Amino acid sequence: MVGVGAARVKRRAAADQENQGGDGVFRGKVLSRRQVLAGLGGVVAAGVLAACSGSQSGQTAQPTAASSSAAQPTQAAAPTAASAATKAPVATTVAQPTTAAQPTAAAATTPTVAATTSASTSGLLTKPDQVDALDIKGKGVQVVYWHNRPQKDQDMLQSMLDGFNKSNPYGIQARAEIGGASYNDVYNKLNAAIQAGQPPEMAVAYQNQAAFYRAQGAVIDLNPFLQSKTYGLSQADLDDYFQTFLDSDRNPQFKGERLGFPTQRSIEVMYYNSDWINKLGFSTVPQDWTSWEQSAGKGSDASKKMYGYAFIHDASNFASEIFSRGGRILSEDGSAYVFNSQAGIDALTLEQQLFKNKWAVEILPSERYGEQTRFAAGDIMYVFSSSSGLPFYQDAVQKGGKFKWDIALLPHPGTPGVNLYGASVSVFKTTPEKELAAWEVIKFLGQTAQTAKWAIATGYLPVRKSAKDIVVSAYKNDPKWGPVADSYAKMFDWFQYAQIESPVAGYDAVRTLIDQDVMSKVITDSSVSPKSLLDAAVTKSNQILQENAPKNQ
Amino acid sequence: MASLAETRITPAAESTHAPRATEYLVFRPSHLLIYGFLVLGAIISLVPFAYMILGSFKSYGNIINNVFWPWPPFGSDSLQWSNFGAAVQQVGWDSQWHTWLFVRYAANSTIVAFCTVTGVLVTSSLAAYAFAQMNLPGKNVLFALVLATIMVPSDLSLVPKVVMMFQLHWYNTYAALIAPFMVSVFGIFLLRQFFLQIPRDLYDAAQIDGAGHLRYLVSVVVPISYPAVVTIALFTFIWSWDEFKWPLLVTRDSNMRVLGVGLQQFIVGDGGTNMQLLMALSTLIVLPVLVVFFLVQRHFAEAIIASSIKG
Repeated sequence: MVGVGAARVKRRAAADQENQGGDGVFRGKVLSRRQVLAGLGGVVAAGVLAACSGSQSGQTAQPTAASSSAAQPTQAAAPTAASAATKAPVATTVAQPTTAAQPTAAAATTPTVAATTSASTSGLLTKPDQVDALDIKGKGVQVVYWHNRPQKDQDMLQSMLDGFNKSNPYGIQARAEIGGASYNDVYNKLNAAIQAGQPPEMAVAYQNQAAFYRAQGAVIDLNPFLQSKTYGLSQADLDDYFQTFLDSDRNPQFKGERLGFPTQRSIEVMYYNSDWINKLGFSTVPQDWTSWEQSAGKGSDASKKMYGYAFIHDASNFASEIFSRGGRILSEDGSAYVFNSQAGIDALTLEQQLFKNKWAVEILPSERYGEQTRFAAGDIMYVFSSSSGLPFYQDAVQKGGKFKWDIALLPHPGTPGVNLYGASVSVFKTTPEKELAAWEVIKFLGQTAQTAKWAIATGYLPVRKSAKDIVVSAYKNDPKWGPVADSYAKMFDWFQYAQIESPVAGYDAVRTLIDQDVMSKVITDSSVSPKSLLDAAVTKSNQILQENAPKNQ
Repeated sequence: MASLAETRITPAAESTHAPRATEYLVFRPSHLLIYGFLVLGAIISLVPFAYMILGSFKSYGNIINNVFWPWPPFGSDSLQWSNFGAAVQQVGWDSQWHTWLFVRYAANSTIVAFCTVTGVLVTSSLAAYAFAQMNLPGKNVLFALVLATIMVPSDLSLVPKVVMMFQLHWYNTYAALIAPFMVSVFGIFLLRQFFLQIPRDLYDAAQIDGAGHLRYLVSVVVPISYPAVVTIALFTFIWSWDEFKWPLLVTRDSNMRVLGVGLQQFIVGDGGTNMQLLMALSTLIVLPVLVVFFLVQRHFAEAIIASSIKG
C-alpha cells in the first residue's frame, strides 16, 4: 500500500501537468467543475455580502416596496427617528466591547470573582450620593432594553422611547429590542449574553430571574438610584406607585436590594362563565371554595366534555390557590419554602377531588392556551389565568361561545391573596453612566402617561394610581369591552392583596418540581396523599434554594 | 467486491432482480395487513399537516368552537384566505426594507439555508473523501473523534457557542446564523459510507486519465454519490429552515431574524394566541420545504436504497 501511495503522488504530479495542458478524458468536465466552483464562490460571496450588509444596510437598502406604505400601521409616526436610532447603536454596540465595557468583560469570565472585586472599583454604586455625583449630560449614552413583547408592541415601545430620546435632558438614546417571545426566551438569551460579557443595559426579568443574575454579579441594586437626590423619585412619585408593586422587587435573598423596578404588572384572576353559573342557580360567583366546588360539580358533564375547571401545567395556578387560602410559597425572609402548609394541602386535596369526580380537565402543554379556547367555546366554567389575557379572552368569547363572562378574585375563606405577575425591569452592570441612563429610562416608562399607554395597548396593568382613571376610561370608551371594562376597573382594588410567588434564584426549577412531582401526581392518582407529596417537594425545593443561594453574601 | 456499476446500471439490476419483482405482484392475504399498517402510518403522519392546513382556512370562531369542517357541504363558512394576509401583517413591518417583516424573515431564511447547504456539501464531501478514499495515518481515530461530537448534546455546547459568537463579533450577523452549521457530522458520515463503496479501480482509472484527488472527487465521486448528496442537501435545508433556538439567541434585530422566530411571535408568553393565524403562518413556512421535498424525493429514496447495498 505504501508503494502504491508513493506511486500515486508521482502520478498525481504527472496528472497535474497533464491538466495544465488540458488533455485527457476530463477535459470535457473542466467546465462543469468550474461551474461548480463558480457557483459555490458566488453563493459564498453572496452570503458574505449579505452578512456585511445585514448590520449596516440601512443606508443602501431602500429597495422595492415603497408603494405599500399606506398599509404600514404604527411605524408611520416617526420612521426617520426610528431608523436613525436603530442604525447608530448597531455600530457602537458591536465596536464597544473592546473599549468601554471592562467591568462587564470581567464579570463574564469569572462571575464570582468579579462580584467580589468590582465592589471596590467604580462599577458598583452603593450609595445615593455616588449616583448624585454622576453627570451624563451630553455624553450621548446609549441604552438597549430587551423585552418579550411581539412586534406590534415593540413598535409602540420604540415610538415611546423615541419621544424620550428627544425630550430627555441628558441626550440618552434608548432602544427597545425583542429579546424573545416569552420571559423564558429572554432569560435564556440573557444568561448567554452575561456569559459573553455583553448583556444589554436593561431587560425584563422576573424577581427570581433577577436574583439569578444578581448571584453572578450581573444586575445592580437600584436603591441608590431610587434614593438619589438628583435622579431619584420624589415622595409624591413613590406614593403614586402601587406599594405592593414596589415591594415585590426588594429581594430578601440580597438584604432587600432592589433588583428591578416595575413598569407593568398583571395579576392572576379567575375567569368565569357567568351565564353558566347563573343557569345552575348561583346568582353571584362563589366566594368560598366549598360553593365553588359545588358549582363546578353541578356544571360538569364529562360525557359532553364540559368541565368546571381547567387544570394547566403551571405552578402559578397552585401558588394562587395557596395565596387565596392565606398561605405562602416561600417564607417572608426568603429562607425556606413553606408550600406544604395547610393551605397547600387543601389546594391539592381539592384538585384531587375535582379529577376524581371528573369535574376538571387537564390541558396538556401541547394544547397551548387550550383552557382559553375551551373556555371561549363554553366548555369550561372557571379558569385561573393572568389578567394580561383579558383582551384575548374578550376576543375569543366574542367569536366563540358568545356568552356572558367576567373575572373575579379566586374564592377566599378570609383575606384574599392575589398572585402578582408581570416582570420588572432589571439594570445590568455595565458602566455607572449607562446604569444611570437605564434608570432614567425606567423612570420614563413608569410615568403616568407612559404606563397608561402601555397598559391600554398590551392589557397589562399600569403601575401608578394616577394612571388608573386614564386606563379605565379608555376601556370604557371602547365599545368592544362592554361590561369587561368594569371588571378591569375592579382589579385596582385587588392590588392591595398582591404578593409574588418567590423572588429567589432557582425558583424556576422549583416550579417544574411543583408541576411534575406534586400537581401532575394528584390529578392522576386519587389515592396519593397530598401532604406526603408536598413534604417531599418542599425538602427538595429547599435543597435547590441552598444550591442557588448567593455564596458571597 | 461487487462493482458499483452492477448495482447502479438499471438494466442489469432489472434483469437480475426480475423474478423477485414479480413476486410482489402476486396478491397474498398478508399483503393486506402490511398495506393496512402502511396506510394507517401514512394517515397518522398526515394528520398534523391536515390539521394545520384546515386550521389556516378557518375563522377564529370555528377554531374555538372546534368545528372540523365549517365549509360546504357541512357548513356555510367560506375559506378564510384573509388569514394569510392577517398573519403576515401581524408579524410586523420592516422599516429598513419597507416591506413586511415576513418577507425579510423569508429572505433571511433562504440566505441562511442556501449558504448552510452549500457549506455542508463542500465540507462533507471533502472530509468524507479523505476518510473514505485516502490513506492517512490515524484516519480512523480522527473519524471516531468526528463521530464523537454527535454524542455531545447540542444544548450543552449552546452557551459556549453563543459566547464565541459574541467574541468573534458575529452577534446579530448572518455569519453567526450560517458559519456554525457549515459542517455536518451527519453529512460526513453518510457521504463516507457512500464513498467507501466506490471501488479503488475507479480512482486508478481516473489517475491514468490524469485526475488528481480534487478532480476525481468533483468529477467522479460526487456525481456517483448524487443521491447521498441530494439527501444531505435536503436534510440540511430542512434543519436550517426549521432552526429556531439558535437564531433567537444570536440575533438582536427583528430584521435579522428567520421564519421560525417570526412564528414564535404568535405564541405570546402572557395572554393568548390566534390559532388560525398561527396555522396560516405555519403553512406558509412549511410550503417551501414541501416543494423542495417533492422535487428531490426520488433521489432521496434512491439514496436510502443505494446505501443499503453491500459494497
